[in-house]
Amino acid sequence: MEIMINTGTSVIQAFYEKKGSTLKDEYRQSAAVAFMDAKDMEKMSLNPRDKIKVKSEWGEVVLYVDKSHDAPHEGMIFIPKGPWANILISPETYCCNIPTYKGIPGTITKTNDEVLLVSELMNKVYNKYNLKEENLSDRPVYKKKED
Amino acid sequence: METPITDYDEEIKNCSCSYCGNNCDDITYLLKNKQIVGVRHACRIGASKIINDQDQRLLNPMIRNEEGILEETSWDEALDLTAKLLYNSTRPVLYGWGETSVEAIKKGIKVAELTGSVIDNQSTICHGSTIQAFQNVGHPVMTLGEVKNRADVIIYVGTNPMDDHPRHLSRYTTFPEGFFRKNGREDRTIITLDPKFTNTAKVSDKWIQFNMNEDYLLFNALRILLKGQKIESDEIAGVPITELEELINIMKNAEYGALFFGLGVSQTLAKQKNVDVLIQLIEDLNRYSKWSMLPMRGFFNVSGFNIALTSETGYPYGVDFARGYPRFMVGETTTIDLLNRREPDFFMAISADPGVQFPGYSIQHLTQIPTIQIDTHWGPYTELSDIVLPSTRVGVETEGTAYRMDSIPLFMKKVIDKPENCHSDEWILNELYQRLEMLKSKEEK
Repeated sequence: MEIMINTGTSVIQAFYEKKGSTLKDEYRQSAAVAFMDAKDMEKMSLNPRDKIKVKSEWGEVVLYVDKSHDAPHEGMIFIPKGPWANILISPETYCCNIPTYKGIPGTITKTNDEVLLVSELMNKVYNKYNLKEENLSDRPVYKKKED
Repeated sequence: METPITDYDEEIKNCSCSYCGNNCDDITYLLKNKQIVGVRHACRIGASKIINDQDQRLLNPMIRNEEGILEETSWDEALDLTAKLLYNSTRPVLYGWGETSVEAIKKGIKVAELTGSVIDNQSTICHGSTIQAFQNVGHPVMTLGEVKNRADVIIYVGTNPMDDHPRHLSRYTTFPEGFFRKNGREDRTIITLDPKFTNTAKVSDKWIQFNMNEDYLLFNALRILLKGQKIESDEIAGVPITELEELINIMKNAEYGALFFGLGVSQTLAKQKNVDVLIQLIEDLNRYSKWSMLPMRGFFNVSGFNIALTSETGYPYGVDFARGYPRFMVGETTTIDLLNRREPDFFMAISADPGVQFPGYSIQHLTQIPTIQIDTHWGPYTELSDIVLPSTRVGVETEGTAYRMDSIPLFMKKVIDKPENCHSDEWILNELYQRLEMLKSKEEK
């Protein structure tokens, strides 16, 4: 289904971001969500907390879907800002320094894939250090200083 | 239902919150054994930032080892390596600053000047277009105190303060009793313009839904109607003309109007042009009544960076010291454009998380270059950082000055002690500056 992607702050996502628990499941549950108009969900026979793959010109990501509290907005999904939304938004600044965070055309399909945690997402998508699976968790993974 | 906190032994009043541009300075911290156990008056997000989750707190400096795992190290080692990398880079970018004090920012500007860096803050991804529009057209400004005491019509455009500035309505605009607005909410009309039925729209008297990316059209239509001219089509940006006429009538007849706008205006397609025409609308309205406007600034000191940098260099953000003197060119010396052109060869984020804030395409470049993080918590950006320097929280563990969204400077207290091996942003930048100076004098010899 073709949709318009809108991103922005949601109070729950900001709560966990500022609390500083971005690695944990609670942050994933609040920021890796596409809020959809109930009518659109019906068209795709989606239930709250089903998983969808959202695709834009810039990338694709798996998100939970949930009923929007801000409906009606048929044809538009709202994703709280965060590492998941960032994959989809357009870096195009039109020479005005601000990337285009809102109003990105995209498509959605139902999926059974997993929604990734922050550490998994950052390392699978950007893969800077080639880390092994066991080094990715919902807690910081680092080496303590040997005294 | 949560029960009130009664188990505390100390109460510290009039603290300043360190979350959003509201900078609420009426917060009470509740302490037990010199640790914060509760917060009074703060909103949900402010309280979460003050009380904090300690599981992900950065406590020691770290450098990434050959296996790609962060390893704890000493401050000297981490700072020496950072200084060396920064000194030897040709196109360094120092980004962030929105959640630290003006004192630390001043030190940061010195570091940028010494190293020929680009220094930029979160304006570059949020209200940068607003600042450009202010430079184009002007800024009919007010303070939040004026709004509280005088405003009878309040308009929110493309912003949802109930979610990202939760106390804006209750502290400054909608609910408080003002000198000329004795009955508080009853004396005021609140209107929200937004493509979504946001939480702010839900508490407003009127919600006008318009199509995304058609803000420019909408504001121009309002100007046309204000000037008494006719519009031929029946609707503009999805809004019936009759509704726009009704809105402009309310605006014209206000005694004191205040308009707040957010990223819904500055981040959509027409960017600074949206704000240009919105400012002109406010200008036109001043022929009939008193109107002013304010951008809803996000972080508690994002506005302070613009003010500090303007007073030091003459430019508000995205300042490039590569030639030894400050230059500012939108789309040229600004972070996202630099990253999209794959230009920087060093990137340092100070109290900011590019992993949360930048588009994926721009983040991809951060995997190719040395990246440094100065922050309090492990976040998405830590997963991409080569060196991590743990800092302290301004307004909780460190004192400092911050500017509210209406450019009012507020002092933020130190309330509790910092974790043992963490240091303030100011201290870290000062240490870095001294090391850079040493490297420079060595080279000159």
